[in-house]
Amino acid sequence: MQPPKMAKSLLNWFCRSELIEDVEGDLSELFAQRVSDGKHFAKLKYYLDVILLFRPGIVKNIEIKIGLINYSMLRNYLKSTVRNLMKYKAFSAINVFSLSIGMAACLVIFLFVKDERSFDAFHENNIYRLCEVQSFPGTNTQNVALSMSGMGPTMTDEFPEIEKYTRFWGWGRQLVELEDKNIMVERMAGVDSTFFEVFDFKLIYGDPASVIKDPLDAVVSEEMALKLFGEIDVVGKTFVVQGDQCVVRGVMENVPKNSHLQFDIVLSIFSVGNEVEEFNTRFGSNFLNTYFIMNENADLDQMSEKFPEYLTKYVQWDDDLVTDYYQLFLQPLPDVHLASTNIEHDYNNFRKFNGQYIDVFIMVGIFILIIASVNFTNLTTARANNRSKEVGVRKTIGARRRNLFDQFIFESVFLSILALVLGILLVIISLPLLNNLIDRQFSIFPYLTELDFVTFCIGISVLLGITAGLYPSLYISSFKPILVLKGLKTSEKKSYLRSALIVVQFCLALGMIVSTLIVVDQLIYIKNKDIGFSKDHIVLVDMNQEADEHYQSMKEELLKKSNILGVAGSGQRIGNNFHQWGFKVRKDTGVVDVTPSNVHVDYDYLEVYGIELKQGRSFSKEYAQDNGLSFIINQAFADELGFDDPVGQKVGHSWYPNDSLGTIIGVTGNFNFNSLHYKVNTLSMVVHEDWNYSEMSVKINGQNVEAALDEIEEVYGQFVKTYPLEYEFLDDHFEELYKSDQQMGSIITIIAALSIFIGCMGLFGLASISIQRRIKEIGIRKVMGASIQQLMLLLSKDFVTVILISFLIACPITYYFMSDWLESFAYRVSINPLLFIVGGIAALAIALFTISFHVIKAASTNPVHSLRNE
Amino acid sequence: MNKYSLGEFEEVVMLTVAVLYENAYGISIKEEIEKRLERKVSVGAMRTALSRLEKKGFLESEFGEATAVRGGKRKRYFKVTPHGKRALEHVMETRKNLWESIPSIAFDFKLA
Repeated sequence: MQPPKMAKSLLNWFCRSELIEDVEGDLSELFAQRVSDGKHFAKLKYYLDVILLFRPGIVKNIEIKIGLINYSMLRNYLKSTVRNLMKYKAFSAINVFSLSIGMAACLVIFLFVKDERSFDAFHENNIYRLCEVQSFPGTNTQNVALSMSGMGPTMTDEFPEIEKYTRFWGWGRQLVELEDKNIMVERMAGVDSTFFEVFDFKLIYGDPASVIKDPLDAVVSEEMALKLFGEIDVVGKTFVVQGDQCVVRGVMENVPKNSHLQFDIVLSIFSVGNEVEEFNTRFGSNFLNTYFIMNENADLDQMSEKFPEYLTKYVQWDDDLVTDYYQLFLQPLPDVHLASTNIEHDYNNFRKFNGQYIDVFIMVGIFILIIASVNFTNLTTARANNRSKEVGVRKTIGARRRNLFDQFIFESVFLSILALVLGILLVIISLPLLNNLIDRQFSIFPYLTELDFVTFCIGISVLLGITAGLYPSLYISSFKPILVLKGLKTSEKKSYLRSALIVVQFCLALGMIVSTLIVVDQLIYIKNKDIGFSKDHIVLVDMNQEADEHYQSMKEELLKKSNILGVAGSGQRIGNNFHQWGFKVRKDTGVVDVTPSNVHVDYDYLEVYGIELKQGRSFSKEYAQDNGLSFIINQAFADELGFDDPVGQKVGHSWYPNDSLGTIIGVTGNFNFNSLHYKVNTLSMVVHEDWNYSEMSVKINGQNVEAALDEIEEVYGQFVKTYPLEYEFLDDHFEELYKSDQQMGSIITIIAALSIFIGCMGLFGLASISIQRRIKEIGIRKVMGASIQQLMLLLSKDFVTVILISFLIACPITYYFMSDWLESFAYRVSINPLLFIVGGIAALAIALFTISFHVIKAASTNPVHSLRNE
Repeated sequence: MNKYSLGEFEEVVMLTVAVLYENAYGISIKEEIEKRLERKVSVGAMRTALSRLEKKGFLESEFGEATAVRGGKRKRYFKVTPHGKRALEHVMETRKNLWESIPSIAFDFKLA
């Protein structure tokens, strides 16, 4: 009868080696005694004893078994690695340097991705943003980030899943009046009392739960406190906004750059004379952002199903159309920054980014690493013959294949760590330049002291070293000592693996080159597309109360200046979607409601922007009804309405009585008032003299921008005393629209350039080796009468074939990916086949140029030199 | 604590080793304790105590003969060292002192 084996081996596994013998003996003896009481009982007891033995004092110290490490052997490996590095400097440089470029690129991508992912990550709560899908008649369906003021409170009442709500109502730029000075505050907003509980913006003074309780309670940022009062502890101090005296109840740390909400001062959302009860049940207009904290175990799908029911219950409109017009959805906080590209009217979303580009970046990073490792593998394999003697000697002395394998793996890991160090240095050197290009503030230094990061980097490098060194090590360690020591070269047949790896390399490089060309093509298209109006030399001047009062006289004064070509006020800035308002159209069947985008403009708006009329006339002061009763619509809206002759049709704002509608006086072309990611929406323009303008578009003389700006400043100063002049160029504003795309373009261009560079470095090395190997053949051919041209052709042929194959593989894949990307633009170029050819030829030319150095040198050597010695 | 620090179970194990004299190895110690003190002793608890005592220098051990019933494994015989003896004496000494210091009245429960 034997004790159970499993228990025994378990004991052997964990028990200290100096104890194992007598412990095991004791247990066996006990077992033998117990067997008489029953076999199973004895076995069970044995198990139990073993388990009870699992205690400190008996369990051995944790040790990782990696076999015998022979340190002096490792020293020897290191020595031969370093010697080889020094002996073949060019190859070592190519090897290490290409890998380090790849690693540097990956590190930068890592920084970028990390930065984008850090957005809003400092908020602890399970936060969602309420968004809407609006499908009004007469306008494109759109996702909207705004919601109604009544939704937050009533939904919190209705749905137990919602723990808390808070609303954020952006008020933009406001003048803050103090006793001794006035200061323009860029970003002011109204929020609910729960704001600092929902979001983790750190308060320096004040309690998050009670800091905003009553109307006119304010929290200011540290920076703003210093700017307004010259100190930080300003709780209890007051300032005036729009005639109301606000009290500072708290001071917060400056809002971090990686927050989608940006503000300098928040006031209670009830600071603008709005009644709590009325405001919390107000439906109809969407003008603020609503955020919820959800319960941990809330079932969002189940909850969403009840949204239509909720809408019908609370938004009591005469017609039951609310559920046709509105759908609600909840967007998790991380998506607000990274997945909001298809969401419009998203005004409080700082630097929002297309999250899909992050995947692209990661992919591209992996590609470049592959390209770099392929270099490594190929060059090491190709140079194997240089090490054959060493292998022969080592094997003769007694090294086993395993030892040699270890040696070469050690070597490649060593090189890859070296590359990592170099790569980090490269990043440190190139980051300032790169930061400039993509407008970020990256730094690698904070990560270098982070253990996780360092371990991760080293881990990846080791892994890379092992993977890239696997094949060469297996190959080199397989040499037969007798053959190599006799001086016979190992077989020199073509290496298909090497060729296949080059194909992979060049596929990726070509794919990236062609993609870059397509991206650039599209970006140029966007920049130059005729968007139906002129966006050059237009200065957008911010309006305010005072400027509005003097608008007419200011405009007249400006027009007298020599460098000012035109002035027009408008209610909203062009370049975004304009707000949608209800709109009435009289048809044969009666009055129909539609909801196009709307903007109220000045009489000269069309002239200043150079928007062309297809039918009818522009606004004019000559006609009294042009103030509020004349509408100019765009072609898209005209098509939507379906009139044969839209001009003269009766239309009006939704609040106009049916019997006093205005008329359509003109139809414009479809100019792109929104970003080119979107199709042109239906639009109606109208003049309302007594409405405030939010900004003034000033068309200036492009020849003399400086003088024109001086003139604007002078005239503005004459009329507006309290508010400083704030302006922006319209084309800058448009740049901003495509920033995410633009940045992706820059990064992909850099990476594509790097990848072809790395690929060519590898090619350069390989060409040198393979041509060196054929130097005798070339000599003989030359003696037999081959011309230099023939030889060059012969030598380049292999490389050209490989690149052609990569081209054929890369084309369809690139085409597929790029058409996918272009889909995200409503206005896009069709993929030009020429770009593929250009990319292919460019790659081929670069590759041929790279190897030409060796080819020409080999083809023109005097055969005497190559054939003389054997 | 002084250099003779000794737990209750450790003390029992040491005394048993001394009692068994030349026949003190794992199983015999375990059985002796179980017999004399009428309590269960697990191999684990005993083994830990033995190793700890050995580490403190109160016990020393050497391998003895191997038997078939032990699956060919040798026994490890334990012996109390002079240092261990002093430790035991020290414990006894302190206990005795304590006993002697108890005022006779303290245990005179009849009074109540």
